[in-house]
Amino acid sequence: MKGKNCVAIAADRRFGVQLQTIGTDMDKIFEIGPKLFVGIPGLATDTQTVHERLRFRTNVYELRENRPVTPQVLSAMVTNLLYEHRFGPYFVEPVIAGLDPKTNEPFVCGFDVIGCPCEPEDFIVSGTCEEQLLGMCESLYEPNLEPDQLFETISQALVNACDRDAISGWGAKVYIIESDKVTIRKVRTRMD
Amino acid sequence: MAMSLMRPGGFSYSELANAGPVQHHFSPYTDNGGSIVAVAGKGFALIASDTRLSTGYSILTRDQPKLYDLNSNTVLGCSGCWCDVLSETRLIEARMKLYKHEHQKEMSPGAVAQMLATILYSRRFFPYYVSNVVAGLDANGQGVVYSYDPVGHCDQNLFHAGGSSGALLQPLLDNQIGLLNMEIKPTEPLTLERAKGIIKDVFISAAERDIYTGDGILLKIITKDGITQESMKLRHD
Amino acid sequence: MFLTRSEYDRGVNTFSPEGRLFQVEYAIEAIKLGSTVIGICTSEGVVLVVEKRITSPLMEPSTIEKIAEVDRHIGVACSGLTADSKTLIDRARLECQNHWFTYNEKMTVESVSQAVSNLAIKFGDSDDDEGAMSRPFGVALLFAGVDEKGPQLYHMDPSGTYVQYDAKAIGSGSEGAQQTLVEMYNKSMTLKEAVKTSLTILKQVMEEKLNSTNVEVSIVTPKDNFHMYSKEEVEEAIKDVA
Repeated sequence: MKGKNCVAIAADRRFGVQLQTIGTDMDKIFEIGPKLFVGIPGLATDTQTVHERLRFRTNVYELRENRPVTPQVLSAMVTNLLYEHRFGPYFVEPVIAGLDPKTNEPFVCGFDVIGCPCEPEDFIVSGTCEEQLLGMCESLYEPNLEPDQLFETISQALVNACDRDAISGWGAKVYIIESDKVTIRKVRTRMD
Repeated sequence: MAMSLMRPGGFSYSELANAGPVQHHFSPYTDNGGSIVAVAGKGFALIASDTRLSTGYSILTRDQPKLYDLNSNTVLGCSGCWCDVLSETRLIEARMKLYKHEHQKEMSPGAVAQMLATILYSRRFFPYYVSNVVAGLDANGQGVVYSYDPVGHCDQNLFHAGGSSGALLQPLLDNQIGLLNMEIKPTEPLTLERAKGIIKDVFISAAERDIYTGDGILLKIITKDGITQESMKLRHD
Repeated sequence: MFLTRSEYDRGVNTFSPEGRLFQVEYAIEAIKLGSTVIGICTSEGVVLVVEKRITSPLMEPSTIEKIAEVDRHIGVACSGLTADSKTLIDRARLECQNHWFTYNEKMTVESVSQAVSNLAIKFGDSDDDEGAMSRPFGVALLFAGVDEKGPQLYHMDPSGTYVQYDAKAIGSGSEGAQQTLVEMYNKSMTLKEAVKTSLTILKQVMEEKLNSTNVEVSIVTPKDNFHMYSKEEVEEAIKDVA
C-alpha cells in the first residue's frame, strides 16, 4: 500500500494445508533490498522456491551491474521468472512493495501465477482473503498517508479481512518502508 | 476432387458430418449478481441493494432494486439467480397472505425469518440460488437482521452484507459497525445517520471493484413509523 | 328432537329438510353424557377443572386423563368420548409444533382451535382422504392458553364451531354449572378465586364428594405456562372449597 514517501506491506503468519493449520509463525514477506520487499502468498514450497530464485537473480544482477535492484527491475524479474513456467506455474501470486533506491518514489506491484504484472497507484492485494482485503482497502485507503497512518490503515485492512477468512490469520507482520528506515511490527489478530 | 469439397475454413463437409453427436448442456442456474447490505440498530433497521442486474459481462438493466417490502415492518433483500428470486419472493408473499388470514395478524420479522429458512430447506436438493437478507423491527421495536445460505441456514445478526460483494463488504462492516479490532470504541450507540453513511460508503467501494454491483442503490429505512426509502447513484460502468 | 327421527339421521352428508345435520346434533348430545369440565379465564391465567368418573374401585384413577398439555402455553380439557379426544389432541400438538417449526413462535390459542376444528369437520369426507372420520367426533374441548393476546379460553364442539369464553362448562353438569358461572364470574377475578369458584361449582354438580383422585386441576399462566396440579396441590385447593 502506497503512502506519502513510504510504502507498507503486510501478511498474516498462518501456514496451513487447506483447513489444517501447521504453523503460526510463517514469514511470507522477504527482504530483497534495504527498501524493497516481496510478499509471496500461495503454495508454501513455491513461496520458498520463488524467493530463493529471486534472491539468486537479484544477487547476480547486483554483482553484474554493481547497483541495487530497483522495484521496477524486481517487477520485471518476477514477471520473467513466473512466465518461464507458463505451462506449469508456481502457485504463488507475489506482491512487491518498495521505494526507489534513488528517488524514494513509492512502488507497489502484484502478479498473477504466470507473472502478469499489475502496478496500481494505491494498493494491491493477494491471497486467500483477496476479496475481503479488496473491500477493506477500497474503503479505508486514502492517498498520501503518513507512515503511522499508513500502518493503521494497512493493519486494520489486513486484520479485519483475515477475521472473515477461516484460513488466514494467526497474527500478522507489517512492514513500513520509509526512505531512512524500515519498521517491522507484529500485529495480533484473532488466534483461531 | 477432394479439394473441391474443401471449405475455406480448411475442413470438409464430410468431416463435419462425421463429427459425431454434439452434446448440449443446460444449466438451471445463472448468476445475475447484485449486493445487499443490512444494518440493525436501536429502533431502526436499514437494508439496501444495488440496482444493477447483469448476466456475465452484460448488464440487463441498471434499474432493478432487489428489495421487497413484505409488510410494514419487514423487508427482504434477495440477489443471485434472478428467476429464483422472482419465484421465491412470490412464494413468500403468498405464504404471508395465508398466514395473515389463518392467524389474523401480521407476521413478525422473526416468523418471516424462520419461514424463509424452512422454505429454503424444503428445496435442499434443488436450492434457490439466492442470497437472502431479512431486515425488520421486532416486537420491542429493535432492529433485527437475518441472513441465510442458499439451503436455509439462518443467522441473526446486527449487520450483514450478502450477494456478489458480500465478501468485500462484510469485514468492513465487522470493523465499522461490529467495532472489531477497534482500539478506541465510540461510546454512543450506532445512529441511523451513521448507519446510512456507512451503507452508502460501502456500496461506493463495492461498485469500484465488483462488476456485478453498481448503477445505483435503493435504501429502505424501517422504523416504528413504517418504511421510507432513499436512493443514490453509483458508478455507471 | 328425537321425535323427528327420520331417514335423515343416518348419513353425515345429508341435511334434513329442516336444514339440520342430525348426526352432528347427536354428537353434541353425546357430550352431555360426558363428565363435567369447567374452565375460567382470568387476567392472571386460565384454570381448567374436570371431574373424573371412577366407576369402579378397581380402576386406576391416574390413567383417566381428561386434561392434556398441547404445548407449553396451551392446555386442553375434554368431555365426551375420550378416545376421540386423543386424535384431536394429537392434531393440536402437531399443529403447535409445526407452527413453531415454521415460524419459530408460539401458536395462538385461537389458531390451535381453528386447526383442530378443521380436523373435526372432516367427517364425511371420502374414505381415501387421509385421516378422515366417517362420523363427527364425540367430544367437546376447552382450550386454555396464554398467547400474545393474554390468557384465553376457547370452546369447541363436535360441529367444529369454536367460540371464545370468559368461563365455560361442558359435560353432564354443564347446564347448571354454566348458569352458576354466569352468576359468579367477574372480570376482576384472581386466578386463585377462579380455581375455588370452579371447584365449588364442580362440587355442586358432582354426585360424589370432591377428592384428589376424582378431580383434575390445571392452570395456564403467562409466567409458568401449563401446569397440572399435583395430588397435594389438588388437596390444598379442595380444602379451600370444603
